[in-house]
Amino acid sequence: MLTIDNISKTYGSFRALDGINLHVGQGKVFGLLGPNGAGKTTLIRIINHIIAPDSGSILFSGHPMTAEDVAQIGYLPEERGLYKKMRVGEQAVYLARLKGLDKTTAEQRLHQWFGRLEIDSWWNRRVEELSKGMQQKVQFVVTVLHNPALLILDEPFSGFDPVNADLLKREILRLKEQGTTIIFSTHNMPSAEELCDDIALIHHARVMLCGPLADIKASHQGLPLDRIFINTVQN
Amino acid sequence: MNKIPLVIQREYLTRVKKPSFWILTIVVPVLLAVVYAIPIILASRPLEHAHVLVVDDTGLFQDQFRSSRDITYHGAGSIDYARRQLQQHDSLDAIIYIPARETTLPRDAYLFYRSDTPSLTVQTDAQNQLQEILRNRILLDVHGLTPDDYALLTSTHIRLRAQDIETGRDGFLQVKIVVGALLALLVFIAVFMFGSQVMRGVMEEKTSRIVEIIVCSVKPFQLMMGKVVGIGLVGLTQFALWVLLAGALVTGVQLTHADLFEQASARHSKTEIATKGSEATYQYQTEQERAAQYQAGQGIDNSLQDLIEGLTGINFAMLILLFLFYFVFGYLLYASLFAAAGSLVDNETDSQQFTLPLTIPLLLTLLLLPSMVGQPSGSLSVWLSLIPFTSPVAMLLRIPFGVPFWQVLLSMLLLLATFPLCIWAAAKVYRSAILRYGQKASWREVWHFLRSNTEARPSAHSSASHTQ
Repeated sequence: MLTIDNISKTYGSFRALDGINLHVGQGKVFGLLGPNGAGKTTLIRIINHIIAPDSGSILFSGHPMTAEDVAQIGYLPEERGLYKKMRVGEQAVYLARLKGLDKTTAEQRLHQWFGRLEIDSWWNRRVEELSKGMQQKVQFVVTVLHNPALLILDEPFSGFDPVNADLLKREILRLKEQGTTIIFSTHNMPSAEELCDDIALIHHARVMLCGPLADIKASHQGLPLDRIFINTVQN
Repeated sequence: MNKIPLVIQREYLTRVKKPSFWILTIVVPVLLAVVYAIPIILASRPLEHAHVLVVDDTGLFQDQFRSSRDITYHGAGSIDYARRQLQQHDSLDAIIYIPARETTLPRDAYLFYRSDTPSLTVQTDAQNQLQEILRNRILLDVHGLTPDDYALLTSTHIRLRAQDIETGRDGFLQVKIVVGALLALLVFIAVFMFGSQVMRGVMEEKTSRIVEIIVCSVKPFQLMMGKVVGIGLVGLTQFALWVLLAGALVTGVQLTHADLFEQASARHSKTEIATKGSEATYQYQTEQERAAQYQAGQGIDNSLQDLIEGLTGINFAMLILLFLFYFVFGYLLYASLFAAAGSLVDNETDSQQFTLPLTIPLLLTLLLLPSMVGQPSGSLSVWLSLIPFTSPVAMLLRIPFGVPFWQVLLSMLLLLATFPLCIWAAAKVYRSAILRYGQKASWREVWHFLRSNTEARPSAHSSASHTQ
């Protein structure tokens, strides 16, 4: 689905990514793990064409990735927000249209999603009236609305209460069943362990560990993922 | 697919749908008009007729008070008598009492009233008449002048009229100053009002972090330009509505106060005759007219008539077109820079560092307006009206005075050449700075953004705030 080939990026004298090679398999949940400042956000922004790499290339479904391919990505950034003064429905339609959906389709799908998440009654409310968790739900719907082939979720559970986190988890798994490839970036090891098929651990701009979660756990004597994380980072 | 129209649409609609937009567009001008109209309406309304008793112990003023449409003066023998009359008769409003002094001329006169303070009209009229009668007395008794001599003296009035020798039209310097200053002020306010809206809009997107989602769908440049254009259209909408509103108001005034305009146009046509014929005849006629107006008590202010007459001589279509040009391109120039300033900061307080240098050129021009008005074709005025960062304000000030065509053209061309450069520079800074959270940028970094082709690195520490 997505092949990251020898990507490097420096900001001035700071090396953010140093020869990153990764392969995200079709229909897999791929965990992108690493401590703060490891380069995860930079890598995600490069995949999204928000910033350009200094060197290296990305293959998307087997061909060199172009700006048009970005429309097939749904990206839920860690730093996320909505226009506070705009109404929920209006805003969701706007964001969907930016992604290339026409107005009618956007409204139809939004009502479906909002209905399933039981948030349809928020349609005409201003975003500022919503709690943070409620806003996260809206953001999630907006992210997946255009049926992206690749979903990139950066800390999707932050700000969710356990009930809604569970709801979100089920939605993610449902999307996976439908064939969506998911890149899941997090610090939260238990949820990574629960959801991911493959993982990559990035530290100091390099890939430290990479492969199927089961294999990695096996080669670390079945330690829990957070132990593996700490051991790798501290060595 | 080009997403700019979508961005423009959002920026435009969210602002136009706000109640504050309509308040500013409709309520404020109507309120201003009402505030200006109330004194005029009140002044033209007939007052309640006042009756005033005059008690003069000096013998200088007796029978000299002239009654008018609003006030009748009655002579009364003694202050005691008058006092009783005032207390007994509701129809009486006040007493003017001038006590006698032994040696010199009277210095104080009194206006006695019962319960209601006499109106300002009564007080002003009494004051003026006292002054005039006393002066007449001195002229008459000391210098031997008759009231007719005095009337001639006071009615002698000569007005200096600046006129174009080719068109024979009046210069109406004051009107030009007012119109020029208003235009300059309006474009200044508009550029900064809408420019800072752009800045706040950019900051809103940055601080709410929605920008991260949006730049996945549109390029930062498209987002910035969509915002600048959308808000600019809001400004144009506002002006269009103001012009419509002003047109409706003027038409309304023309219909209800047709006399004002008829007199103005009558004077206008007379001016043309006068330039061909004798100035003296004209002068005589206007004096007669003025006297007649005064007698009739219509109270039309001469300066107001000058204003209307001067305004009818101005080419408003041209003014509006030039105003639009300088607003649109001055706005594009400044709004893009404001967008860059907004992208550099996380909150309004920090933004001052970058907005202050932006405001200085136009603010300086505004402060120099008085000296420019003194010499609208002086070198200061010419230079300021050519430099693109000051020309929107400076040129609009000069336009009513008449500006050589080549200067207008050069000023426009320079502005047209400069605004794309500003947009280009702003876009570079904006693209680099918009995704940088939590750090305040310095001027050194701005310079770096301008030169480099790379983007700012995502701030590492901001992710810590969300870690559970």
